Amino acid sequence: MARVLLENIVKRFGRVVAVDHVNVEVRDKEFMILLGPSGCGKTTTLRIVAGLEFPDEGRVYIDDRDVTDLEPKDRDVAMVFQNYALYPHMTVYQNIAFPLMIRRKKLGLTKADIKKKVLEVAKMLKIEDLLDRKPGQLSGGQQQRVALARTLVRRPKVWLMDEPLSNLDALLRLEMRAELKRLQKTLGITTIYVTHDQAEALSMADRIAVMNKGRIIQVGSPDDVYLRPSHVFVGTFIGSPPMNTIKCVIAKSNNEYILQCSGFQRKIPGGELAGVRDQQEILLGIRPEFIDVYKEPVPGGIKAKILVVEPQGSEVILNVDINPGGEETLLKIKTKYTAKYRTGETIYIKPDWTKISIFDYKTGKSLA
Amino acid sequence: MFRGLWRRSGKKRRGRSKKAIIITFLLPELILLITFVLTPIVGTFVISFQTENGYGPDNYYKVITETSPDKALVLPKNIESLRPPPWGALIHNIVWVLIHLPLVVFLGLALAYLLHEVKGSSIVKTIIFLGMVIPMIVGGLLIRFMYDGTLGVVPLLFKTLGINSLAKTWTNYPQTALISLILGSVWLWTGFSLTVYSAAFESLPKSYIEAAKIDGASGLQIFFKIVIPLLKHATIVVVVMTMLWDLKIFDIVYVSTLGGPGGSSNVMALVMYLYFARALDYGRSAATAVILALITLIPGAWFIKQVMKSGKEKR
Repeated sequence: MARVLLENIVKRFGRVVAVDHVNVEVRDKEFMILLGPSGCGKTTTLRIVAGLEFPDEGRVYIDDRDVTDLEPKDRDVAMVFQNYALYPHMTVYQNIAFPLMIRRKKLGLTKADIKKKVLEVAKMLKIEDLLDRKPGQLSGGQQQRVALARTLVRRPKVWLMDEPLSNLDALLRLEMRAELKRLQKTLGITTIYVTHDQAEALSMADRIAVMNKGRIIQVGSPDDVYLRPSHVFVGTFIGSPPMNTIKCVIAKSNNEYILQCSGFQRKIPGGELAGVRDQQEILLGIRPEFIDVYKEPVPGGIKAKILVVEPQGSEVILNVDINPGGEETLLKIKTKYTAKYRTGETIYIKPDWTKISIFDYKTGKSLA
Repeated sequence: MFRGLWRRSGKKRRGRSKKAIIITFLLPELILLITFVLTPIVGTFVISFQTENGYGPDNYYKVITETSPDKALVLPKNIESLRPPPWGALIHNIVWVLIHLPLVVFLGLALAYLLHEVKGSSIVKTIIFLGMVIPMIVGGLLIRFMYDGTLGVVPLLFKTLGINSLAKTWTNYPQTALISLILGSVWLWTGFSLTVYSAAFESLPKSYIEAAKIDGASGLQIFFKIVIPLLKHATIVVVVMTMLWDLKIFDIVYVSTLGGPGGSSNVMALVMYLYFARALDYGRSAATAVILALITLIPGAWFIKQVMKSGKEKR
């Protein structure tokens, strides 16, 4: 059992507020990912859980125990650093054994016990052959495994990871994603993982906490944050390419809402939008992959002109203008690479209206 | 630019012109080194073997067996009976290393560790580094005043503490002359070790220490198991440079005690100087110089070996 609770955490560096009233609960055995752009406070939040930084306000609980003022060594957490932080003067074996060696007496372990544990974790991570080497003689992927082994050898209550995959090459990163997720599930260790890579977050997390400017914007399952973003920031930060946003005005009459956007108008069924005023400015959010493309006019289709074609292998990204002749309104569309598209071609697009998001133009908050 | 030159010169001539370029670049340095380094070294070596009746090891024999306290390198009787100095200049140099080196390494490391994340620590570091900036001749004079019975801060301190036996001019007594110079030189040289260690701390990734903290290490465990091993290269530099400095020490002694009283603070370099400038015995002076050079070669060679080794490790 290990539950992590952050309560109203505030951390300032001089005048900069790095973490701004963060409240989040990480459930037992959960894989929680803190996702956000660089400088959003996600790493600082992680370091506060680790005990490397102390919050100016708020409390940190691990298993209902208030650990806010405890040193890292008294929290029973383990952390994987972005640069792995393997001790260069020790062998791989000594590195992995270090957390146990320095507490040998406290834990009542013999050297044989430690050896058994190190070999066990080395086997799990497939690094038994590397135990006599120094970190400098290892590849990036091997160093990563050693760093993971060092954190897992003492089975911590909470496993913290700070962008552990960012120093690996693309192929290895994909491989490690799946492996890390499997490890986490097999061992059942409560995990907090920091990344700026939305694809990593979507593919690994049980739940994602999206952060921006020191605040948590949304906490939810990968599906939640992807399909039902609570803020325009979440929509535009997650997804590749990100969500399209078009500025529109809502005309409200007799329980009917009409979206007036440059290039098209669209009636949306009443009752869905609460607290919307007539003539309110909104942002319409449409994910690039939820738009159908037709070569011929279709009922309800919006006329668009292709500006750029970006082939992606099995898919293609079309950059189109849906208001040709008027003020340019750009949209990105991701579609299967079944037809040939040319720059300058006129096409007809049809968004999936059940999967749109509507945000307030001023606050960015979701209205739907 | 020179690649272009080689290409134009054609394949056949490439080998020869490359050699010519290497020689052109090396020649000025070689001429300077031969004139001002190699020739004096060889000259000193030759002179050290010159005697009245041709060549021989006489000078070395006389220098080593000399028993007059102001020129002796080793005075076995005094060492054996553990009487106060003089013990001989060579022994004084060794004592200097034995006391000065650990103090300088420890103080530099401790101060660098304590100060490395403190605001305004650069002011403290600058003051400590002042010892390195002032000329050693001035440093020697300052040491003399520091230990002066009527003006000095050290005797004053002992006077206030009520220890009257030490409230005197330290440099005037054989028992205290050598140790007063050694302790004074700690102050002059700690700036060096502090600077080297501070630079090493700056380049030490913080994540090592943080990782150790999370792994459960205490402050002392981090210091001994992580910080000290990681600062190995800085330690090698500090140890070797300090040893060389200690073995070659001259100016501080020259201005503060001139090796006195009664040779009790004499050092090798001063003996060499006294043979040369006072006794006008160039043969013995050269022999002393060669002995001193051979002794300093030991830490020097070790240092070069370490540097080569760490170069290989990195590759």
